[in-house]
Amino acid sequence: MTNTTRSRPVVPFVAAAVGVVLLAFLVVLVMAKPGGSESASSPLLGRPAPVVQSSTIDDQAFDLSRRKGSWVVFNFFNSTCVPCRQEHPLLLQFADEQRRSSNPVELYTIINDDSDAAVRAYFQTFKGNWPKIRDSDGSISVAFGVAKVPETWVIDPDGFVRLRILGALSEGFLSEQIDTLKRQYAGEA
Amino acid sequence: MKRLKSWPVWMLMAIITVGLLSVGSTRDLGPLTQGDRIDAITKRIACPTCDGESVYVSRASAAESIRKQVARDVSAGVKTDTEIIGSIAEVFQAQVLLVPRATGLDSLVWVLPIAVLVCAVTVLGFTFRRWRRLNQTGATEEDIALVESLMSVDPTDEENV
Repeated sequence: MTNTTRSRPVVPFVAAAVGVVLLAFLVVLVMAKPGGSESASSPLLGRPAPVVQSSTIDDQAFDLSRRKGSWVVFNFFNSTCVPCRQEHPLLLQFADEQRRSSNPVELYTIINDDSDAAVRAYFQTFKGNWPKIRDSDGSISVAFGVAKVPETWVIDPDGFVRLRILGALSEGFLSEQIDTLKRQYAGEA
Repeated sequence: MKRLKSWPVWMLMAIITVGLLSVGSTRDLGPLTQGDRIDAITKRIACPTCDGESVYVSRASAAESIRKQVARDVSAGVKTDTEIIGSIAEVFQAQVLLVPRATGLDSLVWVLPIAVLVCAVTVLGFTFRRWRRLNQTGATEEDIALVESLMSVDPTDEENV
């Protein structure tokens, strides 16, 4: 009997707004790049490599800018890291391949939070006669954005970062990638 | 009567004044030494290898390296705090930011709660207005006639009981 006024329904508008927000989240999730791939993204890719000035555990000075003209591979390493130990035979194989190559790649180990003595002992036991570069203050790791080892980086003869590999290497992956990069580089040149 | 009605405004102004005074007298003036600055910056950077720990707290080697880099940048005195954090966040790809950026997709973290609050307040406002309108609905002529007829009946009159 009372005269009730009809109010405009608010619930459908609220539901629609919530729906739009959820849909936006879904779109973001669908468009997000999946992680876990072997070669990883980095803002450094395609850009000049960070400055790397240090010394080897044999007290030889190392300056990355003086390595221009050669392909350079940095392998970030710690002697207590299990994946580093797992990939070591592949690095030995890779170094051996490069020794026999007409255009060899220079391989360097970047020591991540480890002592010279421990690294020396490791390489005496498991072999590998490439240079091992000190990173005592962690500046090389931070410059490359390396949080966990092992990580492998490839730098082209012009000093540009070309590849980042997260985690342990898989058989033949590094050689294949470097061959591809060398072909691309020859095409660009 | 008018004075009595305006007391909430005065109360609000008093609360705001007390709030501003307390914030002004106790606010952090920012880091005073280089060490303080390093601490302040590293508290805003997450350790990239540990869960939920800042670089300031963590003893992990990655956090240690970042701390040293921050110390080097602070000592150099060239970069601002934002630039130092930005340069680290760039190479570690924003996974190290404890305080999300106010740009791009990260800005949703700041915008969404405010948007939700505004929506909630608006919905509440609409609902309260509707309830008020419903309560204010006057009686119809029929209702008034019915009540008047009932009121005119003498309750002591046995015939009407």
